[in-house]
Amino acid sequence: MPLGCCWNKETISPDECRFLRPGDDDLLFNRKKRFLARCLECPLFLEELRRLNGDPDSLPAFFFYAIEEILALRAEMHGLTQQTEARAREIRFLHEVSQILQTSVSMDEVLSLALTAITAGKGFGLNRAILLLVDKDRQHLKGHIAVGPRNREEAGRIWHEIESHDYSLQDMGQILREQKMAAEKEKFRDLLEIISVPMSRAEHLFIGTLNEQRTRHILNLWEEPGVDRRQAEVLGVGELLLVPLISKNRRIGLLLADNIINGRPITAEDAQSLETFALPVAFAIERASLYERLQEELGKVTEANNRLREQQELIVRMEKMALVGKIASNISHTIRNPLTIIGGFARSLLKHTPPEDAKRGHIESIIRESRRLEEVLQEVLSYSESLHPTFDWWDINQLITGVFAGMRDDLEMNRVACRFDLEPNLPKAKLDFKKISYCLRALVTNAIEAMPDGGEIVARSALQGERIHVELADNGPGMSAETIRTVTAPFFSTKDSGSGLGLSLCTRILDEHGALLDIASELGSGTTITIKFTIAREDDHGPLADR
Amino acid sequence: MARLLIVDDERDIRHLYAAELEDEGYEVDSAGSGAEAAEKLNHQHFDLVVLDIQMKGESGLQLLQKIVKERTDLPVILCTAFSCYKEDFSSWLADGYVVKSSDLSELKREIDRVLKKKQS
Repeated sequence: MPLGCCWNKETISPDECRFLRPGDDDLLFNRKKRFLARCLECPLFLEELRRLNGDPDSLPAFFFYAIEEILALRAEMHGLTQQTEARAREIRFLHEVSQILQTSVSMDEVLSLALTAITAGKGFGLNRAILLLVDKDRQHLKGHIAVGPRNREEAGRIWHEIESHDYSLQDMGQILREQKMAAEKEKFRDLLEIISVPMSRAEHLFIGTLNEQRTRHILNLWEEPGVDRRQAEVLGVGELLLVPLISKNRRIGLLLADNIINGRPITAEDAQSLETFALPVAFAIERASLYERLQEELGKVTEANNRLREQQELIVRMEKMALVGKIASNISHTIRNPLTIIGGFARSLLKHTPPEDAKRGHIESIIRESRRLEEVLQEVLSYSESLHPTFDWWDINQLITGVFAGMRDDLEMNRVACRFDLEPNLPKAKLDFKKISYCLRALVTNAIEAMPDGGEIVARSALQGERIHVELADNGPGMSAETIRTVTAPFFSTKDSGSGLGLSLCTRILDEHGALLDIASELGSGTTITIKFTIAREDDHGPLADR
Repeated sequence: MARLLIVDDERDIRHLYAAELEDEGYEVDSAGSGAEAAEKLNHQHFDLVVLDIQMKGESGLQLLQKIVKERTDLPVILCTAFSCYKEDFSSWLADGYVVKSSDLSELKREIDRVLKKKQS
């Protein structure tokens, strides 16, 4: 049978139509289906149609228009279907990534997933993605991480690895995070450093893109005036996509993406997809960084809490110890007098007992045992006393501010202002904290009382050679030379009330400490009292050690 | 010969101190209360006072303040069972400080030291 057209046959055998394709079996027995599926594109059918069509005004002539239109519509539909499928794939992909992004508070997880999504073939399939983040102080846009092969060989290896394993996006993100993040950061360290830009450089392409909050598709980076030459060189690419990361109008960072390896042109669809993707990424980065800060703050609060608890425990312990001390003191008083009498008289008796007297042994026993009891007492007492060691190395500035803090009410009530001019980092001085505090308090009280209408006290500290000078200057009425001479004598006071113990006791205490007291005063121009402490050395036992 | 005044409300302590210090060659008088001591100080000469702090009636510290105020040249040694009195600032006015003990050698040393200091 000559090979003719089979369009008008109800059924055909597979040999009769060479345009049938595998799987077209049902078309053999269905003329309508076969006609629509294959004949419209079959050259034999079209030849037959042309042959039947002698008259251009005949009806078959119009078939050509219809066939042309049908084929065009088909092609269009095919394209649309493909586009729809691509969109659906993209939506599925975005959905998958977004879900992870939305639930993650780990910065590393967010970043690794986002960068994987941009560079993986299953994602947007760009060759390289670089992320820059605005730093905490909002001073710099810093290169944070980059993902992608550095050269063609590496690209081949990576693509091969991905293809042979058929990883899911999430797997790839995880592999990046757990195995490659540090290496990627190291690999791109110089690049990340060079592309960092201060936020103040508004004319820079990166900062400009971020400020305008608009994606930019650069076709030739070498011709961009807003990029430093060095940066263009290290990026090593002409075509580049810049996508700003913005979360609620807050500038988070900038995403750079390119096809540095295969040179495939970046399409408008790439740009649009990445722009859409940037939204959840920016939001997730913002959230992860907030979470990191929250964790940091939480850590601080927890630490403060722990410290507070330790302090509380210490206070409770100290209160207990103070109670022990009090009890010990009371017992000591009750027991010490009788012990002194028993032991004392025994010693006295022994002195007057001749060596040969048999009673000496008995008396010696009394002395020995009472001494033992006294020793026990001393031990208990030195324990309770050691709980509050006051003679120690102290920071003089701390002592001064402590004294003034304790007298704040007094100062305020008497309208006396105080000012500090304390030299920082003074060496510590060995002194009796309580006694020197008492001295300073007494001197400040004197100054307050010398200024009944209020005034000012300036406290200064300074290192002068081998001594620390502490100066208290008031702007009261001052003293005459005569008054200064008598003022340090015991119980001098120009005041009607009070014992006048203050200044004389101060001189005594300062004497004990080997400290000097200077009084400079002039009637009408205030008084300046200077205490000059010696700086004791570590091996000094200090003036009070034997007391 | 130096004259000492022992002030303590415990009679046996007064007797013990008097006996021991007289053995050392001092002339010793004693008082059982702050008031009695003040009375004696007003009418007699003493070179040094050994003063207990915790006493019935006027405390040793009150008497100490009076002595320092009126008799600035009269040294006082505080002798007490309470070592923590060292932290009461008014006790710092005393010239010496001894914790009571059946062994009186520390008290004797302190008396000797203070008297020598006064003489110099």
